[in-house]
Parts: sequence; structure tokens; C-alpha cells
Amino acid sequence: MKHMPNNDAHQQARKLIALSGAEILSANQLSDQQSSNAWLAAHLETCASCRTFAENAADTIHGLRAIPIAAGRGLVSTTQIRVRRRALELQRQRERMWLVAVSCTAVTLCALLSTVAFWLGFAWLGARAQLASSVWQVGFLVFCVMPALVAAILLLAKAKDKDKDNDNDNYKHLAHHTGSYQG
Amino acid sequence: MAQESTEIARGLRRRDPDLLDRLIEQYQHRLLRYLVYLTGRRDLAEDLFQETWIRVLERGHQFNDKYAFSTWLFSVARNLAIDHMRRKQPSSLDGLVDNNMQNNEDRAPFDVPDAAGASAFDLTLQREQGEQITAGMQHLPAEYREALVLRFQEGMSLEEIASVARVPLGTVKSRIYRGLSALEPWLKGAQL
Repeated sequence: MKHMPNNDAHQQARKLIALSGAEILSANQLSDQQSSNAWLAAHLETCASCRTFAENAADTIHGLRAIPIAAGRGLVSTTQIRVRRRALELQRQRERMWLVAVSCTAVTLCALLSTVAFWLGFAWLGARAQLASSVWQVGFLVFCVMPALVAAILLLAKAKDKDKDNDNDNYKHLAHHTGSYQG
Repeated sequence: MAQESTEIARGLRRRDPDLLDRLIEQYQHRLLRYLVYLTGRRDLAEDLFQETWIRVLERGHQFNDKYAFSTWLFSVARNLAIDHMRRKQPSSLDGLVDNNMQNNEDRAPFDVPDAAGASAFDLTLQREQGEQITAGMQHLPAEYREALVLRFQEGMSLEEIASVARVPLGTVKSRIYRGLSALEPWLKGAQL
């Protein structure tokens, strides 16, 4: 630090002033702090411009600390109410998710148990009717797939009807619009 | 402090509303001040203030009790502010402040209320100084404002500022130095 060129010395001094303005240098610089401070003090004795910078920096820091920006009571209470409301929402959401999870588990268990039961039932019926195992197994498969298949077909049909209704509405709307322009 | 952080972390994981009420009370001025300086707009800062606490509630489980709560809180607020500014003006943080100043020239984003218990002269001097610094702050890039506020108003260590701003320590040092240097002419009452 002692043999720094002049410009570097000024810059170094100003950096030290800016960083130590609040009070401290970073922890790992603690060992250097004393020598830095001694160097800075010596530099400030001889350098008027850095001394002015130090005074201005101190005034700026003091000024910064003196500007009070306070949160209004209304803002705080509104925030607290919003946070509480959101906390309640999240809690309800969690409860709902818990219910969904429990339901899913119950449905999975039921599905597993009923599949096993129906498999055994179909096997027993197949044996009673003296059917080949492939026949009752296909029957079991159809029995399992059928509800989902029927539901899918019904939903598709419903969607198609809805599309048709929408198209009709659009034509009516278009016709009405054209009419109004013409009129 | 470590014990306090642990208790806060535990409460945040439970989403304890009483703890959040207490934290909002405790950090109200610091957080708002940081947001006002970061965004340059009081109304936006107040919106972000509320959003920050909602985010704290929702993401409380992410708080690591190895760090100070204030550092995490300011990081959350900062991320929200950046997200907001990116949505409004994708180019930079400064753009919003400049625009805002063009649109609201008659509005002072930073309030400088009178200090109680000071003489009329002191009060005027303090007010003038405050106004000049405020004016200077408005012309600083957001990252310098942030560094100055965290350092000199919040009294954070350089390491904490680096953690909040997610930049290397050297960058924090240079932002503080440059920010302070840039404020100097404003304190002298010079017009840039």
C-alpha cells in the first residue's frame, strides 16, 4: 500500500472509506483492517480531496440513515389479513389434498381386491360352465374394460352434440350480425 | 440468532399465522424501505410488500435456518421485484424507474417525513439533505441503490448483501463504492 501510484492510492483510499463507512470491513479482512486504517489515516492527513470525499461519504451515509420510510398501519394490517386468509386457503387445500389422497388409496385398494375377487369368480364360473380358460379370461377382460369403454363413448357423443349446438349458435349469430349490417 | 432462526424456520414450516403476524410487525419498515428503494415507487413497493409475505407463507419451508431470516426475506422480496419488473419492462431494472420518473414527475416516491424533536433549522437542513439524497438515489441504477440501502440502512454485512443480491463479494464492494461516489454530487446540491 505504501508504494502505490498516486491515482491508485486515491481510489484505494476512497474504496476503504466507502466500505468502512458503516463501521466494518468483511470478516476475512480483519487482520488487514488495522494496517488499512493506519494507511488510510496517514493518506487522509495529506490528501484534501480524499478528506472531502470522506466527509461527504459520512454525510451521505448519515443522510441515508436519516431518511425514514415507514410502513403505514393500514398496510401492515391488510398484509396480516391477506396472509391469514391465504394460510386458511392453504390449510383447506391441504385438507382437500389429504382427502383426495385417502380416496385414491381406498379406490386403489378396492380395485385391487375386487379384481382378485372377480378373477376368482370368473374362474369359478368358467369351471362350472366347463369353458376353456381363454374364454372366461376374455370375458373377464371385457367385463373390466366395459365400464370405461361405455363412459368414453358417452362422453364423446356428448362432446359431439355440444359442438353441433355451438356451430348452430355461431351460424345464428352470424346471420343476425349480417342482418344488422344490412339493416 | 441461530436459535431465533431455527424457531422461525419451524414456525414457517407449520405456516403459523401468529408467527407471521409477528414477523410482519418486526420487519415492516425494513422491508418496505428496501422495496421502495429497489423499485423507486411507493405504491409498487406496497404491493410487493404484501406479495412478499404471501410468498414467505407459501415457501416458508424453503427457509434455511443456517442464515438470518432477514437475508432470506430480502431475497424473496428482491426476486418478486425482479419478476415484476421483467414482466413490466423486460430490458432492465433501471428502465422502470426512469419511466416511472417521467410519468410521475410530480410524485415523490420516497417520503421524507419531518423528524420529531429537532430545531426548525436542523429540520430544514435534514429535510434538504434527505431530499437531495433522495433525488440522487432516484438517478442511481437499481443495483447501486440496493447495495447502499442494504449496507447503510439495513446495516447488513458485505457477505449478507452478496447473498441477497446473488453476486460476488467484489461486485458488492464496487457497487457500494460507485453508488456512494455517485451520490456525492447530489449531497453537495449539484444538479446532474
